[in-house]
Amino acid sequence: MTDIQFINAHIIDPSQNLDGIGYVDVQNGVIKYCGLGDAPKASKDTKIIDCAHSYLAPGLVDMRVQSGDPGAEHLEDLNSLLYAAAAGGVTAFACLPNTQPIIDDASMIDSLCLRASRQGGSQLYVYGAATKGLAGTEMAELGLMAESGAVGFSNGITSIQDALVMRRLLSYASMIDKPVIQHCEDASLIADGEMNEGETSTRLGLIGSPAVAEVIIIDRDLHLVRLTGGRYHVAHISTRAGIDAVRKAKAEGLPVTADTAPPYFTLNELAVSTYDTAMKLSPPLRSEDDRLAVIEGLADGTIDAVSSDHVPVDGDAKMQPFGPSQPGASGIDTLFALTISLVHGGHISMIRAIDILSLSPATILDVPGGSLVPGSQADIILFRPDTGWIVKGVNFTSASRITPFEGQPVQGVIDATYVDGKEVFRRG
Amino acid sequence: MSPLLIRALLDRGDAFASTSQSSISSALKDKTVVNLFYENSTRTRVSFELATKRLGGSVLNISVAGSSVKKGETLLDTATTLNAMHPDILVVRHNCAGAAKLLSQHVDAAVINAGDGRHEHPTQALLDALTIRRRVGHIEGLRIAICGDIANSRVARSNIHLLGTLGAELRLVCPATLLPAAVDQMGVSVFTDLETGIKDADIVMMLRLQTERMAGTETPSQREYFNFFGLDKAKLERSAPNALIMHPGPMNRGVEIDSATADDVEKSLIRMQVEMGVAARMACLEALALGLDSTS
Repeated sequence: MTDIQFINAHIIDPSQNLDGIGYVDVQNGVIKYCGLGDAPKASKDTKIIDCAHSYLAPGLVDMRVQSGDPGAEHLEDLNSLLYAAAAGGVTAFACLPNTQPIIDDASMIDSLCLRASRQGGSQLYVYGAATKGLAGTEMAELGLMAESGAVGFSNGITSIQDALVMRRLLSYASMIDKPVIQHCEDASLIADGEMNEGETSTRLGLIGSPAVAEVIIIDRDLHLVRLTGGRYHVAHISTRAGIDAVRKAKAEGLPVTADTAPPYFTLNELAVSTYDTAMKLSPPLRSEDDRLAVIEGLADGTIDAVSSDHVPVDGDAKMQPFGPSQPGASGIDTLFALTISLVHGGHISMIRAIDILSLSPATILDVPGGSLVPGSQADIILFRPDTGWIVKGVNFTSASRITPFEGQPVQGVIDATYVDGKEVFRRG
Repeated sequence: MSPLLIRALLDRGDAFASTSQSSISSALKDKTVVNLFYENSTRTRVSFELATKRLGGSVLNISVAGSSVKKGETLLDTATTLNAMHPDILVVRHNCAGAAKLLSQHVDAAVINAGDGRHEHPTQALLDALTIRRRVGHIEGLRIAICGDIANSRVARSNIHLLGTLGAELRLVCPATLLPAAVDQMGVSVFTDLETGIKDADIVMMLRLQTERMAGTETPSQREYFNFFGLDKAKLERSAPNALIMHPGPMNRGVEIDSATADDVEKSLIRMQVEMGVAARMACLEALALGLDSTS
């Protein structure tokens, strides 16, 4: 028997290339049917949800979230993060291991996942630390962490600098078929860097981080991928050169994927001109040419996914001069609307938008979700892509409220979010 | 800043420089100026102090050493604390770009940027312009070469803006490793050879190079730097016959400039720059004080 039937829904499902009015049946938390056309009459026990032609799609899968919990619960705890995820249409997300303590041990993964599942709501996944203590020198227990549910391995917000360590990580992770997620920046080149290097950094007197710091690491790692066959994922890619390198590697058939985040296709380095520390991000906001390259990469499939790059930042750490202020910003509340802006701007189709927000990241992480094919987990969002609102940090559901998009008008609201067929959010 | 405003400040600075009468202006009477210096400074701080006193104001100097900054107080907390004491003008030097701007958003006092990181040192550029104008008579059309550590110099950036706005032809001369990215977009021509860069220049402005930048990092050694980028009599012959030499101080003698050149009374404006510093800062302080009176 069908538990819930969504009727008159504008269905977007990239896994079946569906874009049209139809209906979806959910039974026992699983998609039972998804197709275009009018729904047959359901039994009287079925809950009917009339979408009135608003949109229905698989829930968002966010590949890059920093959790304040454990260690910085005063900035954001699991409760707040899970609620923010649900409200943002994110039905599953993966946390970086740079918590306190660092997630470089299987028991830490067990503990965090268990606590999240007790809260209910969106599904939390965890990356295991690629190296012990994220120090970048010794390999952590990748196999044991994978058994406990690690969906990949990451060195948090730092890049693995040592080529031998990276070679071994790719090689070892290939045995367990998990991706190595790399934040790509050559540490020696960016040393004291405060923003992207260029005319703007020169005018502002801020120390520049050159854009080539990204592609230097990507190019090196791609050689190691060729050598080892390991799965490699470039996190928050931000430069044209880096995107070109990934494009070539994909054409060559290497097991390489990449994501970016909304700031890198929405803003450029000029946003730093007022020394607004909300614009201090890692990697830094790049040039206009880089921004356009990110959009091209998303449109042509070079960049697979958009993640929120959500960072709970202490307000005090931002109330400083630009240079010493902490990089990062809240992202989970704005992920959907900012990505949908690419559809409004005519850069990508709605199907492609849901692909990069949902199907592609679910595929990279090899987790349920991202599809409405019968048998899939019923992780569903209902949304209206045209409804406008103005980004205001104070209104965020996340406890982290510093955003580089403060005051920006956007379009696209999540009306409801379902995880495993259960409603975890509905707009009041 | 518009050329009109700059000229107004220069005219006023000129008037202050032309007289030693203390009665010329008492714009800062009953006003308090706080010098908040997060970096060591002798000439800039003393210059502001003297300028304040000549305008009849009272001045308070706060330097990092022995202050609450060392106890971990943030820039904004210090500013808020000072703000509660109602100073009229805050003169700020800080090692971070944008620090003065940040403060100005959080205090009621008028804020003067006395140097923020690598960003700007506006009153230095004003005093440089005043010095040139008093000596040469004009700035427009002069060929001015700024030589040395451009990347780390706030003096260079402020002078590019100010002297460029006043119509000077600007050249930057420095080793490629000390050249900031895309600086040619700021209306200057760039040279990596000193003798070519100062050829026919009317003004040669040398910048200080910190010794830690000559230990095989930005440049190979002090000896090599002086050999290629230090100013001496022989290299100076490439400039215009009546070329004048400037340096914002403090100088590294034998590094970016040799003593014979620095102390050449005919050519060196270095001491005059210090003198003009007081007059230029009096002009800034007075302008702000008059502005404060008209708004309150």
